[in-house]
Amino acid sequence: MAQMPIERGKIREYAVATAAARSEYLDDPHAPIPPTFLSTVVFWDSVADALGTPEAAQACRDAGVEPDVRNLLSLEQEYVFHGPLPRAGDTVFTSSRFDRVNVKEGKSGRMAMMHYALEFRDADGTLRAECLYTSAYVQAASVGGTA
Amino acid sequence: MSAPVSAPGAEGARLPRRDFGPITMTDIVRYQGASGDMNPMHHDDELARSAGYPAAFSVGMLGAGYLATYCTELYGVESVRRFRTRFRAVIYRGETLHARGQIVRVFEQDGERRVEIELQARNDAGAVVIDASAEFACDVAAP
Repeated sequence: MAQMPIERGKIREYAVATAAARSEYLDDPHAPIPPTFLSTVVFWDSVADALGTPEAAQACRDAGVEPDVRNLLSLEQEYVFHGPLPRAGDTVFTSSRFDRVNVKEGKSGRMAMMHYALEFRDADGTLRAECLYTSAYVQAASVGGTA
Repeated sequence: MSAPVSAPGAEGARLPRRDFGPITMTDIVRYQGASGDMNPMHHDDELARSAGYPAAFSVGMLGAGYLATYCTELYGVESVRRFRTRFRAVIYRGETLHARGQIVRVFEQDGERRVEIELQARNDAGAVVIDASAEFACDVAAP
């Protein structure tokens, strides 16, 4: 778990980097966060913690795929907001969650699709947002020609 | 905060097209610095070539961020309820991302009217490189 302060300057920087020109992002001292802003949580917490749990590793092996981070592909990210958006001046508290694994036979071999999440809560425990991640461990050592 | 009245609010309506790019190395490193994803495969050509790619390639989340901007410019910054993005193909410097979107569902949830939008970013060759699905609160009256 980590504390993540939502900072005005970081929101402005992120908005500029994603070509967002709305004054609410650039000029409001209490700017709301852009939809994908919570990806900046990596400055405060490790996103893949949920994959390092014995539970996740075992689920992966049960699916017949060895969990090797060199073969981990990021496939999908989803941001879900509950209630008012986090905004500059807020502090949120993160916790990671492993959801499930399912197996898919892909072009480059068997893939273990890992579903995991980060939750963002207020100090009083109210859920404000979730990042839902889907990443895949690919069995064959042929990811992106890295072999 | 209300969406501008020009934002599409009816099922089947298409969002006005918008282009992002051509993507430069500056765009990529600026996003990497902002997001904290410092994966060198996105800015180190030599490393990318050693891994079998023709050059370093853009960050998937940069394209996703552009699609998010595409939506917030239309529906307002406070209206996002959900934003899901899928990475379909890598994008290289010099390519332009062509953003498109269509409203696939209008529904009520938590006492507000929402639109579900399907979004695509295509490269110059017309291939979808990122697709996304988003829900925004939208109080624009249906025509």
